[in-house]
Amino acid sequence: MASVAHALTGGLRAVGGAGESVARHAGEIAQLAWQSVQATFRGQVAFRDFIIQAYAMGVESLPLVLVTAILSGVVTSQQGGYQFTGSIPLYVLGSVVTNGVVLELGPVMTAIVFIGRVGARITAEVGTMQVSEQIDAIYSLGRDPVRMLAAPRILAGMLAMPFLVGLANGVGAMAGMVAARSTIGLGYQSFLYGARLFWHSYDLFYSLMKAEMFGFIIPLISVHMGLLTRGGAEGVGRATTSSVVFMIIAVLVADALFPPLFLN
Amino acid sequence: MIEYRDIYKAFDAPVLAGVSLTVPDGETLAIVGPSGTGKSVLLKTTIGLIVPDRGDVLIDGESVFSSRPGVLQEIRQKAGYVFQNAALFDSFNVYENVALGIQEHEAKRLGQREVARRVWHALEDVNLDPRAVLPKLPSELSGGMRKRVGLARAIVGRPQILLYDEPVTGLDPVNAAAVDRLIEEITEKTHVTSIIVTHDIEGALSLCDRIGLLEGGKLRFIGTPAEFRRSDEPLVRAFADRQAAALTAMRSERGSRRSRRTTDLESTGRPS
Ligand SMILES: Nc1ncnc2c1ncn2[C@@H]1O[C@H](COP(=O)(O)OP(=O)(O)OP(=O)(O)O)[C@@H](O)[C@H]1O
Ligand SMILES: [Mg+2]
Repeated sequence: MASVAHALTGGLRAVGGAGESVARHAGEIAQLAWQSVQATFRGQVAFRDFIIQAYAMGVESLPLVLVTAILSGVVTSQQGGYQFTGSIPLYVLGSVVTNGVVLELGPVMTAIVFIGRVGARITAEVGTMQVSEQIDAIYSLGRDPVRMLAAPRILAGMLAMPFLVGLANGVGAMAGMVAARSTIGLGYQSFLYGARLFWHSYDLFYSLMKAEMFGFIIPLISVHMGLLTRGGAEGVGRATTSSVVFMIIAVLVADALFPPLFLN
Repeated sequence: MIEYRDIYKAFDAPVLAGVSLTVPDGETLAIVGPSGTGKSVLLKTTIGLIVPDRGDVLIDGESVFSSRPGVLQEIRQKAGYVFQNAALFDSFNVYENVALGIQEHEAKRLGQREVARRVWHALEDVNLDPRAVLPKLPSELSGGMRKRVGLARAIVGRPQILLYDEPVTGLDPVNAAAVDRLIEEITEKTHVTSIIVTHDIEGALSLCDRIGLLEGGKLRFIGTPAEFRRSDEPLVRAFADRQAAALTAMRSERGSRRSRRTTDLESTGRPS
């Protein structure tokens, strides 16, 4: 009995602890976001840092984003082709592939790549700065890590992500089109006809809105987790893995919130 | 003048448990103590990098933790901080690292040329050849050079207060002595108020006006080097003896390793 009660209170305490830590993270992240916004509007962000970061993010992620986009397009196209038997006209596949890529796969797969290539790097970088006292040094020189590190990276993410997602959308849809012809023999004309038939330009806007959202939260969380790092090289490793998990969950949750909020 | 008033700080365990200390203008104070007693924590409270749970730090009469906006900015402008492992920015070259020590608005006022001139002089002051090191990244420098660049970054803004966290730890004896001499020179030239946290008691005794022993969260001793040497307080003696013993142990260890290496060489010798 005692042990059951003990396990129960232990479990409750664990849940309470987790809840508390989520609340603390949320509060700190909100504060970091707010300070970054302030720094941006006060013109305190070095334009040069922002451009360097955005360029690095784009270049780092581009190859993997393209590969992922091509594969997403091809897989959607093939699965769709496999399911479309009988009464559904084949050209509908054009719409299924484009919508699948633009609404969901393009932004989400790009975000996952972005987390691995950019988010993990930022956490490791900022975490190393934290454990080697470089963050303290920034403060000691009367500067502000939010202005020096967080704001340029967040702005850069918000520039790089829409660019990458736009590219992933185009490349993914195109790959789907090529795959549709080579596997089920659906001609380009019919594919495009189907794609246009159900196309709303709002879809692209929706896709880029997701990209903007992910481009904002990924650097935000990665900098936040970097700043929380404690305890040497091992601490940096730990911070980086938990940061990746955190970012993936955040992206998936944010993604799940999009349809009820923006698609109806 | 720097005043610590009854500073308490706990992380997972209590670290500082009531530290009070006054450092008058122009004094060089050394703080020694075993590893992990909160020397770095105490030093960090001076410019508000760590906020104590209780107590206050006053600099020229004003609280570091007062709610007046801009107070931290002003205090950090007055103080230079030399970090334990230099804490140079990895992605910046030496010039950018040191130039960052000049406050933003001041750099605007001074202009590029004057900033460059000051960076140059700061590097000369720490006995580095500016021409050679300016474009280098921290990773391209030796440990001793990094410490010097860290020192240059702290003095380039012409602070009234200098806080050193283990400026000579990890340096070989020659470099350590050189850095000690540098600190002495800087103090003489600029009449700064300095606090030096160190494990090198001999070095500290040779250059400080007063020395404090921090142990178990409290300041156990504070006095002049002569008083420290004479003191028969058990904690002071125990600490000084431990330190001396560790030093001898290290030296003899080094010595025996060297002699072992020589014998190895002799025994493997030339094949006949
Ligand atoms: N930011 C922090 N978060 C949690 N614990 C900390 C933090 N900073 C210091 N500590 C803890 O406070 C204690 C004192 O640390 P501190 O770095 O001040 O020791 P120290 O006297 O400078 O030691 P050393 O001579 O080894 O540098 C240590 O146990 C350390 O783990
Ligand atoms: Mg220390």
